[in-house]
Amino acid sequence: MRRSRRPIDPRGKTLPQLLVERADADGDALALRQKALGIWQTFSWSDVRDQVMWLAEALAELGLQRGQTIAIIGENEPQHFFAEYAAQACGAASVSMYPDLTAEEMQYILTHCEAVTLFAQDQEQVDKALAIADRLPALQHVIYWDDRGMWSYRHPLLLSFRSLIDKGRQAATNRPDRFASLVAKGRPDDIAVLLYTSGTTGRPKGVVCSHASLLDNAMRLDRALQFRAGGEHLSYISPAWAIEQHIGLALSLVAPLVVSFPERPETMLADFREIGVDSCVFTPRQWESIASDIRARMLDAGPLRRWVFDTGLRIAAQASRRGRPSLAGRVLQAVAERLVLRPLRDQFGLVRTHVAICGGAAMAPDVFQLFHAIGVRLRNGYGSTEFGIVAMHQGNSFDLETLGDFMPIEGSFGMPIDWRLSDGGELLLKGGSGFGGYLGQPDKTAEKFTGEWFRTGDHFSVRDDGRLVFLERMDDLRVLATGHRYPPQFIETRLRFSPFIKDVMVVGDERRDFVIALVNVDGEVVTRWAEERGIPFSTFADLSQRAEVRSLVKTEVERVNSVLPDASKVCRFANLPKELDPDEGELTRTRKLRRDFLAQRYGPLIAGLYAGDTEVRFDIPIRYQDGRRGELKAVVQTNIVQPTIVPSLRESEQPRMVASSGGRRG
Amino acid sequence: MQTTLRQSGDPDDASRLQPVYQANGLTLRFGGVVALAEVDIAIRHDETLAVIGPNGAGKTSLLNTLSGFYRPQSGRLSLLGRDVTGCSTHVLARLGVARTFQGAHLFPGLTVLDNILVGRHARMRYGILQAAAFYPFACREEVRHREAVEEIIEFLEIESIRHRLVGTLGYGLRKRVDLARALAMEPRLLLMDEPMAGMNLEEKEDLARFILDLREARKIPVVLVEHDMSVVMDLADRVVVLDFGRKIADGSPGDIQRDPYVISAYLGAGVP
Repeated sequence: MRRSRRPIDPRGKTLPQLLVERADADGDALALRQKALGIWQTFSWSDVRDQVMWLAEALAELGLQRGQTIAIIGENEPQHFFAEYAAQACGAASVSMYPDLTAEEMQYILTHCEAVTLFAQDQEQVDKALAIADRLPALQHVIYWDDRGMWSYRHPLLLSFRSLIDKGRQAATNRPDRFASLVAKGRPDDIAVLLYTSGTTGRPKGVVCSHASLLDNAMRLDRALQFRAGGEHLSYISPAWAIEQHIGLALSLVAPLVVSFPERPETMLADFREIGVDSCVFTPRQWESIASDIRARMLDAGPLRRWVFDTGLRIAAQASRRGRPSLAGRVLQAVAERLVLRPLRDQFGLVRTHVAICGGAAMAPDVFQLFHAIGVRLRNGYGSTEFGIVAMHQGNSFDLETLGDFMPIEGSFGMPIDWRLSDGGELLLKGGSGFGGYLGQPDKTAEKFTGEWFRTGDHFSVRDDGRLVFLERMDDLRVLATGHRYPPQFIETRLRFSPFIKDVMVVGDERRDFVIALVNVDGEVVTRWAEERGIPFSTFADLSQRAEVRSLVKTEVERVNSVLPDASKVCRFANLPKELDPDEGELTRTRKLRRDFLAQRYGPLIAGLYAGDTEVRFDIPIRYQDGRRGELKAVVQTNIVQPTIVPSLRESEQPRMVASSGGRRG
Repeated sequence: MQTTLRQSGDPDDASRLQPVYQANGLTLRFGGVVALAEVDIAIRHDETLAVIGPNGAGKTSLLNTLSGFYRPQSGRLSLLGRDVTGCSTHVLARLGVARTFQGAHLFPGLTVLDNILVGRHARMRYGILQAAAFYPFACREEVRHREAVEEIIEFLEIESIRHRLVGTLGYGLRKRVDLARALAMEPRLLLMDEPMAGMNLEEKEDLARFILDLREARKIPVVLVEHDMSVVMDLADRVVVLDFGRKIADGSPGDIQRDPYVISAYLGAGVP
C-alpha cells in the first residue's frame, strides 16, 4: 500500500479535523497496521476515517454531547485509537486508562471525570467495569471490542463495538453530513484528552489537554527529533501516558506516521523486528530487557562469537568516547560496524530506528552506553504530564548527564520555552501551550504556579557549561543547618554507578553544615584493580584505607560533585573498613541502607569527619560467620575532597578548581 | 479483528436431544482381565462429561475404546446416529472424534504451527504432488487451513510461540499445543486424557479457562478423564464414575460427591 510523506499544517485544527483532511488527501495510503491471525492487517486513512465516522455517529445517536467525557481501557489496538478520535469528533474529551488498573482505581477516575461511556477492551476489563457500574451514576454504556468470553454476557449497559459500527454506518447513510458538521464544530482549545497523573503522591489528578496542546507537543517532538515522514511508529506504551498521545495519536496525523500495533504484548519484540520501526518510545524497563536479552544471548554463544562481539563493542565504545578517531580507528570501526553492530541492530529490529526514546524514569548509564555503542541513539526526554515534553537530547552526540536541549515551539502554539531556577533550585517553566490545569481542582492547579511560572517540583542544578542536571524531586531533598537543601538520593545513586563503589551513605541534616559520605568500596573490583597495579594489601580493612584506593574513590566523588551546586557537594568522605552486611543489620535483606543504625554504629567516624580529624580510631562490634562476636579495631583515614563552605563566605570561597577537575563523560 | 468462531455441525432441536456419541454395553477384556464391563455411556451436545475413578478403573481404556484404538469384545458405538462399532482411529478421526493425550504426543522437531497444521490432515483434499506443483486449488486450500490454524492459535493465546520448536517448550505449553492440534480437526467431540496431569496451579487454571471457553464458543462436547477432583467439580456438567471396569455412578458433580459408592471407591470406607 502507498504511504504518504506529505506533512499537514496542524495549526488551528483538532485531531478529527486533521484526520478528515488526511483521509481526503491520502485516502488510499497506509495509516495503521495491526497483526492479527499472524498477518499484518492494514487500514488506509479512509478506512480509519470511516471507522471513526461510524463510531462517532453511533455515539451521537447514543446521546454523547459536546463537553462530555468518555473513557477507554485496554491495550494499544486500533479500536482504542478509533474510540478516542470518535469521541473528539463529537466534541467530547477522552480518557485512556492503563489496562492493569484495579476496579477501585478505575472507579476513582471514572467518577472524577464523569465518564458517560466506557470502552473496555475485553472480558477482563468488562468484568471490572460491571463490578463498579452501580457506583457510577454517570456511566450509560460499556462498549467492548474483543468478543472473546463475552458470548453469554447480558447487561443493560453492555454493547459491542461491532454493533456500534453497524448502527453508525446506518446513521451515516441516513444523515450523510452530520459527521462533517460535528467535526467542523471542533475548536483547537476544546478539551481533547484528560491525562491522569500516576498518583505517586496522593490521588491521580486529571490534567486537561486541548487539541492545541497535543499538537504543540507533537510538533515539539517533530522539530526536535526530525521524525521521518511516512515512518513506522510502534504503538506500545499506553495512550494513558502523554507521550503516546503526542506521537501515536497526534503526530501520526501530522507527519504522517504509520502506526503499528503488536499482536500481543508478549510478541512485541518479534513484531518490532518485522516492522523495522523508525520511532519508538519504551520505558527504562523495556530497554533494559532488550539490553539484558542481548547480553544473555551472547552468554550462550561460542567463545569465538563472544570475542567478536566484545571486540566490536569495545571498538565502538572507544570511538564514541574519542572525538576524531585515527585512520586505523576508523577502519576498525567500519569493520566492527559490518561484523557486529549492524547485524546486532538487525537482530533486534533497530536498523532503521532513528528516534529511540527512553521515558518515564531514570535508567542506568551502562544501558544507554550499550545502545549507543551498537549505534542506536537512545535519548532521554524530560517533561511532565502537566507541562508536556520540555527537553530532550537532540542531535547526534549529547551528554546523558544533562537534561538535553529545550524543545523548540512552533510559533502559533505559544512562546518559546523559558526557564529559571527558583532560590530553592526548583525548575520553573513557561512557554508553549502551557499547563491547562487539573480537572475540577483549581486549588491544586494554583499550587503548581508561582506567578506565571509553572513549578515542576524537580530540583535541578546548572553545570559550569550552563546545562541543567536533574537532581531530585523537591520533596525528597534534605536540609542542612545552613538551610541549604541537597539531593541525597541523587548523590548516592550516581556514586553507586561507579564500578568501584558498592554502597554509599550520604550524611548531613539540620545539625550539620555540609555533606559527607561513608563509602563501601566494592571488594572484588577494587581487589582486582589493586592487583593489576601491584598495590600490596592484606585485608579489606587494609585495602580500603590504601592511599591509592582513597584517591580512586576521591576521583569518583569529584566526578559526582562536578554536577552539584557547591553547597550540595560531598566535602569529606571515608572508606568503611568492612563491607556492609545484612547479617549485622547494616542493610535490609533487599540491600537497602538502614540509616539510623549505621549512623549510630559509625557515629565516631561521622563525628571525626565533621571535626576534621585526619584519622579516626574506633571499635565496630561484629559477628563472625560461626556466631562468635568480636570487635573490629578500626583505623580509618578521612579524606577531604574540597574545603567546606561557611555560608557567609560562600561567594568568595567557591572552590572552582576542584569542581572543574571532575571528569565529564560524553 | 474478530475471529469467526466455527460451530461444529450446529444441530437443530430434534437432533439436539440425541446424544452425540453413544456406547451401549461396552465390554473390553485383555485375556482374563476385564477392563470394561457392560459400560453404557452417552455424551450429549454442549456437555462436558468427566470420567473419574481410582487407578485401574478403566478410564483410559474407555477413552481408547471411544477413540477406536481398542476394539471392544461386545457392545455398540454410535456417533451422531451412525453405527461406528469396530471403526479404526483414523476413520473415527475423520468423522470428528479428536483426542488429546496424557503425555502430549507431538513432533518435537516441528514448530508449533506445523504441529497444529498436522491436525488439519483429515480435512485436506489435495495430495502431495498437487501441493508440490502449486495447484491453484491446493494453494487456496492451504491458505484456508493456515487461517483455521491461526484462529486456534489466537483462541488458545499462543501467538508468541507460533514459530518455536515444540521440543523447546515447557510442559504446560506443550499440552496447549496438543489441544490446539485436536481442535484443528474441527471435531464433533473431544476426548481429553488427564489434561491437567503434571501441571502447576497456574497452568491448570489457564487450561480450565480454555476448556470452559471451548464449550461456550465452539460448542464442542468434551469427555474429560481427570484425577484432580477440584478440576472435575468445577468443569464438568456430568460425572461418570468407573470402578473395576463397571460404571458405578452417573450424575451431576454435586450428586456424585454425596454418593456413598463413590466415597467408598475413592476413600475405601465401608458402605453402610
